[in-house]
Amino acid sequence: MDTITQEWKPTVAPSDGVPLSERPLKIQFTGSGSEYFRIWIVNLLLSIVTLSLYHPWAKVRRLRYFYGNTLVDGHALDFHGNPLKMLRGYLLVGLLVACYSVAGRFSPTAAVVAVVIFAVVFPALLRASMQFRLANTSWRGLRFRFSGSLAGAYRAMLPLFIPTLLFAIMGLGITDPRVPPIWYLKTMGLIFLVALVLAPLVWWNFKRYQHDHYGLGQWQTKLTIGPGSMYGLTLKVFGVMLLSGVAVFVLAAILAAIVFVSMGMASGFNKEALSQNQGMMTVVFGLIGLAVYFFALIVPVPYAMSRTQNLIWPNTRCDELRFDSQLRFGPLTWLTVKNWLLMVLTLGLYFPFAKVSFYRMRVESVTPQLSGDIDRLQAQAAAAGDASGDAAGDFFGIDIGL
Amino acid sequence: MTDSPSAAPPGASAPTEVAADYFDGRSARAHAVRVRVAGDDLVITGDDIHRSEPLASLRWPERTRHGARLLHLSEGASLHCRDSLEWDTWSAAAAGRRDSIVVRAQQRWKWVMVSTLVLLAMVFVSYKHVLPLAARGVVALMPASADEALGEAALSSIDGSGLMKPTALGADKQRAVRTAFAQAVARLPAEGVPRYRLEFRKSTIGPNAFALPGGPIVLTDELYDRVDGDPAILIGVLGHELGHLRHRHGMRMLVQASVLSAAAGALYGDFSTLFSQIPVLLGQASYSRGFEHEADVDSVRLMKASGISPAVMARFFVQVRQPKPGDKSASAPQLPPMPIALASHPADQERIEYFEHEAGER
Repeated sequence: MDTITQEWKPTVAPSDGVPLSERPLKIQFTGSGSEYFRIWIVNLLLSIVTLSLYHPWAKVRRLRYFYGNTLVDGHALDFHGNPLKMLRGYLLVGLLVACYSVAGRFSPTAAVVAVVIFAVVFPALLRASMQFRLANTSWRGLRFRFSGSLAGAYRAMLPLFIPTLLFAIMGLGITDPRVPPIWYLKTMGLIFLVALVLAPLVWWNFKRYQHDHYGLGQWQTKLTIGPGSMYGLTLKVFGVMLLSGVAVFVLAAILAAIVFVSMGMASGFNKEALSQNQGMMTVVFGLIGLAVYFFALIVPVPYAMSRTQNLIWPNTRCDELRFDSQLRFGPLTWLTVKNWLLMVLTLGLYFPFAKVSFYRMRVESVTPQLSGDIDRLQAQAAAAGDASGDAAGDFFGIDIGL
Repeated sequence: MTDSPSAAPPGASAPTEVAADYFDGRSARAHAVRVRVAGDDLVITGDDIHRSEPLASLRWPERTRHGARLLHLSEGASLHCRDSLEWDTWSAAAAGRRDSIVVRAQQRWKWVMVSTLVLLAMVFVSYKHVLPLAARGVVALMPASADEALGEAALSSIDGSGLMKPTALGADKQRAVRTAFAQAVARLPAEGVPRYRLEFRKSTIGPNAFALPGGPIVLTDELYDRVDGDPAILIGVLGHELGHLRHRHGMRMLVQASVLSAAAGALYGDFSTLFSQIPVLLGQASYSRGFEHEADVDSVRLMKASGISPAVMARFFVQVRQPKPGDKSASAPQLPPMPIALASHPADQERIEYFEHEAGER
């Protein structure tokens, strides 16, 4: 009990007008992998038995478990979503995704139509989903909110669809996809390059839409970084991808050389014996190649994840609240590799444990710093324009979960 | 307040009250309150809070070992209790709360074990029986033109990839194979013969034969040379490919892979899309073993109809494994036999035994 040390701190009454000293709102996750395993396996069984119609109920139970165990400054988060409403959203989104994935197989024209429809529907859907998720999440009895506008959603997300749309439209002009004309390849290369160069900007644009519109009571967050920081981050991530690729490749080459030499010595460098071992060698080299592929693909992910979180959250703030984020690359990488190994060894049954440990590390690395008086936080009367959006989000109960 | 019931030592009479934080839903301020049940109402009292709520209108929090208890009241108000054990004891005793059947299953390892076993059994059965059956049903609904479109597209993409070159076999040799095969097929009952078309190709990947959806059967020059154009063996091999066509294995594989991929993605895509594709790969390999056996059965049927002993296929397997002296492709690295769960063709030995068994029964 550290109540004594807390009493030692001089507290300034908010009415004095003096800037308050900052107080960390420590985030603690109290859930356990073994308990989530039990929730997960029962949910899974019920979902399969009901042909996935149980999914929304399973999701509500899962979210209530994770939120109820996420203590922010000693108070748990809560989820209020109604599973029956979420079923409606689940079916709607499922139908849309099914149409989208099937359309491309029929004809190029159908593919273009599908991309256009998806681009038109998706931003509104994602906005409704964020509204729903936040409006149904509460802390200390107050609901969160997402106040991004519909127009803002299109500004934030339409650029994400432009390359896909261009590819689909160009596909219309191709008579024989096996021998694409040279102009097609050139334009495709050009689009790809431009998209690559603009990707950090587009990504920043999307993140800004999200982080400019989170709210609780009087609090309304704002993203305080420009696209430049996103470019810096992207370059660093590319660098690490390259480096880890090279490092793992060199390691694999050394390993392969050792295997080759030791097998050679075992057979006395006899050509006949060596060729008999050829099959064995193929397998060994195949496995080494697989390891290279695996690590080169897995290691950059925690790097990108930790750096993104540590960039975005400390730069998301409002007058009385800011966030510290110290998600460390080393422990996150180790956790990722460990989770992967155990997932493979247990044929996926380790999944709930992996999820809990991963969630704990990510969420506990963030510390909100409060400089106001929490008791003065008040629910805001919804503006007239917001209410319809909230209702739409709530009506469809769409929860995509990005 | 040392005389409050919840401060009583454990094991004493059941608690009638519990301490909690009350939030009114308008302010983030926490009010310390005590909660009890009076008649059909939940009564909440604190320094400046007095309210009661009909028990029937409440949505109680579910019991978990970890985590706070949050009870939603009307008008956005809520009760938060951090001592979950105390809450659970009180809500069971005072409010007569009983866990739902799902919560009870989640809280007992015995039921969790049962669920796990049932789940594994269901996954196994649906993987082994339900999915193949469903795929067969779905494929039966698909028009044959879908197979043809797919097969032709696959053939032209193989031709375009450089893996296959135009055949170097003479027209007379080609005609001999076509005639022998057509005569063998003609001895089968007509309704059991799918549409097919023989294609000859020179291959860069060694001796092989394969069937594409909708009809094309590709036979490589290397395979023809390896068996010296022996019509008995070629009828066996082509009969096997005809079996793939008759059962529409290509399309069924496609449907099964799509369903498997969607299911695995829903389960593990959350963890990693890469991981979620592992079961799909393994699943395809094992399904493919089942398909190979079905095709072997058709091959035997065709050979028996033409009076050829299935034993020639057993010999063929041995022959393929031991390359002819002076054959260039022999120096290419040969894969060793893989463990059975990973092998997409049933272990050769298993197939050899099947053909020998069929030869013995004739």
